[in-house]
Amino acid sequence: MIRLLSVLAAVGAVLLVWISISNTPTNLRVVVAAQAGNRAAPPPNAAHNASAPNPSAADKGRDTFVTNCSFCHGSDARGGAEGGPDLTRSALVNGDMTGQQLIAFLKVGRPPRMPPFNLPDAQVAQITAFLRLQIEANANGHGGDPKAILVGDAKQGEAYFNGAGGCSHCHSVTADLKGIGSKYDAIVLQGRIVLPRAQGSYPGFSWNVEPHAGDAPRRVTVTQASGQTIEGQIVTISNYDVSLRDATGALHTFARDGDTPKVVIHDPLQAHIDMIPKLTDTNMHNLTAYLVTVK
Amino acid sequence: MKNRSVLGALCILLGSQALFAQSPTSVSELSKPPVNAWATYHGDFSGRHFSTLKQIDTTNVKGLSLAWIYRVNTSTEGAIVSGTPLPPGPPRRGGGWGATIKSVPLAVDGVLYFSTPGNAYAVDARTGKEIWHYVWQGRGAIGNRGMGMYKDWLYLETPDNNIVSLDAKTGKERWNKPLAPDKAANFSTSAPVIIRNHVILGVGGDSGRNATWVESRDPDTGDLQWRWYVTPSKGDPGIDTWPNEHASSLGAGGPWQPITYDPELNLIYVTTGNPTPSYNGLGREGINLYTCSVVAMNPDSGKVAWYYQFSPHDTHDWDSTETPVLIDDVIDGKPRKLLATAQRNGYYFLLDRTTGKSIVVKQFLSLANGYKGVDANGVLIPDKDKEPSLGGVLIAPTSDGATNYPAPSYDPDTGLFYFNATAAHSIFYLPPDPTQPTGFGRGIEYHGGLYASELQAIDYKTGNVKWKHEYPQIVGFPNSTFPGMLSTDGGLLFAGDPSGNFIAYDAATGKSLWHAPLGSLISNNPETFMMDGKQYIIVGSGENLFAFYLQ
Repeated sequence: MIRLLSVLAAVGAVLLVWISISNTPTNLRVVVAAQAGNRAAPPPNAAHNASAPNPSAADKGRDTFVTNCSFCHGSDARGGAEGGPDLTRSALVNGDMTGQQLIAFLKVGRPPRMPPFNLPDAQVAQITAFLRLQIEANANGHGGDPKAILVGDAKQGEAYFNGAGGCSHCHSVTADLKGIGSKYDAIVLQGRIVLPRAQGSYPGFSWNVEPHAGDAPRRVTVTQASGQTIEGQIVTISNYDVSLRDATGALHTFARDGDTPKVVIHDPLQAHIDMIPKLTDTNMHNLTAYLVTVK
Repeated sequence: MKNRSVLGALCILLGSQALFAQSPTSVSELSKPPVNAWATYHGDFSGRHFSTLKQIDTTNVKGLSLAWIYRVNTSTEGAIVSGTPLPPGPPRRGGGWGATIKSVPLAVDGVLYFSTPGNAYAVDARTGKEIWHYVWQGRGAIGNRGMGMYKDWLYLETPDNNIVSLDAKTGKERWNKPLAPDKAANFSTSAPVIIRNHVILGVGGDSGRNATWVESRDPDTGDLQWRWYVTPSKGDPGIDTWPNEHASSLGAGGPWQPITYDPELNLIYVTTGNPTPSYNGLGREGINLYTCSVVAMNPDSGKVAWYYQFSPHDTHDWDSTETPVLIDDVIDGKPRKLLATAQRNGYYFLLDRTTGKSIVVKQFLSLANGYKGVDANGVLIPDKDKEPSLGGVLIAPTSDGATNYPAPSYDPDTGLFYFNATAAHSIFYLPPDPTQPTGFGRGIEYHGGLYASELQAIDYKTGNVKWKHEYPQIVGFPNSTFPGMLSTDGGLLFAGDPSGNFIAYDAATGKSLWHAPLGSLISNNPETFMMDGKQYIIVGSGENLFAFYLQ
């Protein structure tokens, strides 16, 4: 990702002027928009490949940044009202571990939109530490603190878990859910409360491909015309065929023609799927607030 | 004597018609269901994905067999090469989407013309052999929906925002024109549609830092004729649906799918994408016109006749770029001009396409929970409490939609409207300090998994389900909603499932009559035409194009 981003095109602000032709009959418009050169997807995993930024250097860097840069780029470096681009998505910043590229860039700037900045190298390195921390925060989504999503009431969550929610019919915080609060980040935990097969992503696409190891894969029972029955984990299934893996790991595939052979799918998470339409956001928040306390 | 002169005149008339046979790309040809050609993305202007052909029907479709396979050539060897090569290094974004055939081939005079991002191909429709290959060098893109054709000329949008015209006979470039700067955040992926002397195309992009538009160009010179920006600027209608011009100018709403067209009303129907920042509506209070809408406009001027908004103030990335299908019918003794569409937000809509008035709004995804109801004008009311929040909101469908852009089909014989639907939810979050949003507004979508996938056949007049076909394989979004559809007078509906099967159903009952696993998922819309007295069915699956017929 880092490698890819570092070769992505331009950095910083590029002034674009689009002038629609004068005989445009509708929406005649002159658009002057500050455009970041790099319009790639947010780099969610970039931070994880980088060495951890130094927090004290980042603190000093924040002060320098706020004084010199925030007017255009915002106090959190994610873009500002003056049109400065989100630096956490900048190709240069993402590819710059030590500040060497930023040092070189700031000496020149990008006139006329961005002037050069004459800052000591050491201060630019601190700014870089701050920016790396912001990239990390962006990657984690919630200022780097997954607990930020905890807006619910743990007590009510506990009551819902043991009462109306019906969770305790299948689960116990002293058995299968023991230690669940320290096993997952709050945001992952909340996703798994709704559907433990969830494929949360930060942000972007996700692919819920079966079988998903350890996440309660769907199972199937196939009853052949002879009466012989075989049961296992679904590998693939369509209306024309079914492949399953039995307890020994062997693969069995059957052609399907209507109801022959008889195929019954078992989803161990059906209770969750049935719950989803009834689950309010408040109950979801409360459950999460409760389950993060389960050590 | 008198009669004979009338007969004579008739003969002359018929003769002249035969003599001056219309080009398959002319307005009169594209106003009818396709027969001997498939000469535009939707086959005709109506977007119905319906053909009157019936050589292949419910009784003989079991004998449908392979005519040929063409595998996409990704080499530049022997190709006509244009554009600017990228500097050496790893591929830029979008390169990985490469050769998947999302375009719908144009079938004209025994040749198929189709595209992948930065590539155009001409393939012999009788043999599947490549005739020419054109390469536009540069960055990749998420997809390319195909080309437009006018006389012997083809029109292709490039990933780095150019419009290129090719000579269909040779694949040689006639000219290329920039649509937007390469470095702009725009995506140019749509298939141009040609109406008379207007090449009508859309330029999208949803990074939260750009405007998007529909424009018309001269087919001979490539010169711009008019341009209509989706989001308004000062003095434009709709600017009061944004807090300020700045928010509007970066509000996107990309029209990234081809238009449909009513020649009698002389109106094109443009569908627009979601507003940006996608997940963060805080900086764009208001309904954010003309995002997530269908906009009817005059193809000669770009003048807007009416609009209807499917997802006011969208905060869930529910583009409204699903096909606006034009249906003509007689209801209660009155001829009606209608527009039907199943939308990403989980609702089916039926509009009067002369006025834009809402007739039916019907939820087709029972799980859908983004709206509080429908207002007096038949417009959905977004639920404020379901906008992304710090603690997260549980939303269905996901940003991938309850259905998506691949073509639905309307069959006038059955009166049914067919499309793929998926059930899934996501949790949408905003960060603790959601101000100064960029891109997706720093919102996060936590995909919750997919648990149902089905083909729905609904009564177009009511939205009520006539039959459903559930697909037991549940995998990611593209698998479930990708296959486009085609219905025919042979009583057939061609569609696909999430397991990569290409399937022919009885259009009236949903009974599966024939299927073929094509090795990967159906990635475009099936099409049909007659050639040498045989009815061909063409469909794309990943990097392969398949042709079927009755041997």
